[in-house]
Amino acid sequence: MAIFVILRAVFGYLFLVLMVRIVGRRPGKQLTPFEFVLIFYLGGLTLTGMVGNEVSLTNAVTQIITVALCHYILAALRYRFDAVAQLLDGTPLILLEHNAWRAETLAQMRIQDDDVMDMARAQGIKDLSGIDTAVLEAFGEITIIKRDDNDAEER
Amino acid sequence: MPAPPFLTPVEDSVPKVNNEIAIGENLDFQRKWWRLERAVWSLFLLILICDLLGLFGRGWLSKATRATPDNTLKLDYERIERADTPSIMTFHFGPNAIHNGRIQLYVSESITRPLGAQRIAPEPLISAVGDAGNTYTFAATNAPATVQIELEPSFPGAHDFTVQVPNEPPINAKVFVVP
Repeated sequence: MAIFVILRAVFGYLFLVLMVRIVGRRPGKQLTPFEFVLIFYLGGLTLTGMVGNEVSLTNAVTQIITVALCHYILAALRYRFDAVAQLLDGTPLILLEHNAWRAETLAQMRIQDDDVMDMARAQGIKDLSGIDTAVLEAFGEITIIKRDDNDAEER
Repeated sequence: MPAPPFLTPVEDSVPKVNNEIAIGENLDFQRKWWRLERAVWSLFLLILICDLLGLFGRGWLSKATRATPDNTLKLDYERIERADTPSIMTFHFGPNAIHNGRIQLYVSESITRPLGAQRIAPEPLISAVGDAGNTYTFAATNAPATVQIELEPSFPGAHDFTVQVPNEPPINAKVFVVP
């Protein structure tokens, strides 16, 4: 039935959004091979259930439009309500500030000091003492704010 | 002349940390999210365990057997089926089911639709429609004798069905089809 085609597309989209959100963000500017496997495998498995044995062009077009509409609605809600934005994207998280690690955040987000130092090196920072604040952004990248030289001298 | 663009003044709308850097961290929300994540992972684990046990079909809990009091007809089926997934319903006939080298089996229409009967093995000699179902006649020698119907249900939900050997008590059962 046509309604099941649409419901399957809606469920598949929302389920994938939930899965990707729950699996969690990993630091890095690009997807690692490990994450490529996860994304493509999840997508492929969802596709099987969404399409079922209805392989017509009409079915494909209907489901693509449904997914596009779902995405549009979520994006609109995300723009309109901060609470939805937090639910969908999460919130930036401080990993290190003023020479102290946020141990709870690091453990919960499964991030190691090496991950922070990777990003610091990319900005020419030689060691962790050169970092004022490290932030895990909602989109997964770690932002490093360098310590001012004056700051370092004061401390 | 083009209309001027809409402009609004920049305000300090992103919360700052230590009154220095605008980061917008919300640790209270994040702690709630971490709790939710743990609950969801537990739920995922529970779903997998239920699946392995057969609560969503194709497992130990989904298998069912029903029989008439004198075992003239014994039925093996799956009480929980998955939509668009093949399964086998097996009928075992006792000696009382065989008359003059023939076995007759009545199955209600729900076996054909919505439970989606695809194939019967062996092929019946005669298929007769009526009484809200189909009556199949098979050639038979001696008991034990077995007939299988391959099902592939298309419609999720609970579906009742009836099977019967004529002049014997019917077997009424229910199959729940998960999406």
